[in-house]
Amino acid sequence: MDQIKGIAYQIAGDFGLAWGKFFSQVIIFILVYTILKKYAFGPIMGMLEQRRQRIADGEAKLEKIGRDAAEARQTSQAILDKAEADAARLVKEADDAAKAIQERRQQDAVASANTIIAKAREAAQLEQEQLMSQLKREFGRMVSDATSRVTGKVLNTDDQTRINQETSAQVSA
Amino acid sequence: MLPSFLQPTSFSPLLANVHSYASELFTESSNLGFLTNSLLVAAVVVGIVLWFAAKATKNMTLIPHKAQNFFEFIVEFLYGQVEGIVGAKIAPRVFPLLATIFIYILVSNWFGLLPGIGTIGWGEGTGFMSVKEVHDPLLRPPTADLNMTFGLSVSMFLVWLYITIREVGVWGFVVHTFGAKGGLKGVMGAMVAVVFLFVGVIEVFSIVFRPVTLSFRLFGNVLAGENVLHTMSGMGGFLGSILAPLPFYFMELLVGLLQAIVFTLLSAVYIQLSTTHDDHGHEEAHH
Repeated sequence: MDQIKGIAYQIAGDFGLAWGKFFSQVIIFILVYTILKKYAFGPIMGMLEQRRQRIADGEAKLEKIGRDAAEARQTSQAILDKAEADAARLVKEADDAAKAIQERRQQDAVASANTIIAKAREAAQLEQEQLMSQLKREFGRMVSDATSRVTGKVLNTDDQTRINQETSAQVSA
Repeated sequence: MLPSFLQPTSFSPLLANVHSYASELFTESSNLGFLTNSLLVAAVVVGIVLWFAAKATKNMTLIPHKAQNFFEFIVEFLYGQVEGIVGAKIAPRVFPLLATIFIYILVSNWFGLLPGIGTIGWGEGTGFMSVKEVHDPLLRPPTADLNMTFGLSVSMFLVWLYITIREVGVWGFVVHTFGAKGGLKGVMGAMVAVVFLFVGVIEVFSIVFRPVTLSFRLFGNVLAGENVLHTMSGMGGFLGSILAPLPFYFMELLVGLLQAIVFTLLSAVYIQLSTTHDDHGHEEAHH
């Protein structure tokens, strides 16, 4: 045992081992360990955990946002479908109403045109008749004038009336 | 015995080069004898680590600034590695210790590669501000001091013991170490029990020597690297002293990282082996 102890002491001496130096190194190590554990590793691990938590929360929020977006898409799609159906119905109704209005307007226009045409025809007829009577009168006067000049006779009212009537009858024929 | 320039040196011989009265304050037998050049560098390394940790954890935000981002990367990476080995249950308890060990060893290893560490000091003078060989370096890498590596491994061993007892209990640890596996009964069971008892004794020796293996592995690698760099620096005149050690600097960068990983992961494996409740083997990888 003493021999082993002697060898150990010799090795320690050869390599410069000494209690004072040994403990001073241990104390330095314990010092750095204590400070790093309390002021470095603790806060850093806390920060890493906080970041991990933040990422996990972010992922959860992302999933929720994804779900909400899917729901919103479904809802908006439903609203769009309904709006599309309403729009189609409104367009159809408007189309029908327009067609009805167009038809009614067309009928009104046709009726107005017919009225205008009838009135025009009446006016033309009246004007024709007026011109005809004026023509007859003028023609009767010219015939009476020609007759009186040819015959040298002054025509009385009866003659003039008779000549006018005959002339009118011939013009009308 | 190691050459004197490869051992941690108290400030006594250093100050002896300056003034004898100052030297007496730091003799091995005095109260300040524990102050060594490697302890001074260890204090500087601790200062750097704490400065960066303070910078990284100051004004922390969810969108990290550069220092915070880098520190978070290291912490997250290490936590993943530790959790992968010791399991999710134990990881929060052992992570701060293992992460501190990793960062402290890594920074110490790389700090020791800085020009001037181990090469500035006193020795046989060859001219103005020039020595043939540095006998008393002003600064030494902390991981090239067995006091530091042994201190780390003993601290790790005590934490391992505490976690193991807390997790499986004293009796659970005894059963885990010496108990027969396989569930055999009768004569075969008794024979197997004797074998496992013997294996348990070997296991106890293995456990006791863990601090030694851990500390000497780290110490030896860093010391050897430092030695190689010093040797290479002394070759081939001025230009050779610059070019010759250059490839070894890259190698030592890797070795420094590798040794930090090895120490940390082995510690994690030791914890995992003694805290698992299953029945598989509990052999470990000694290097």
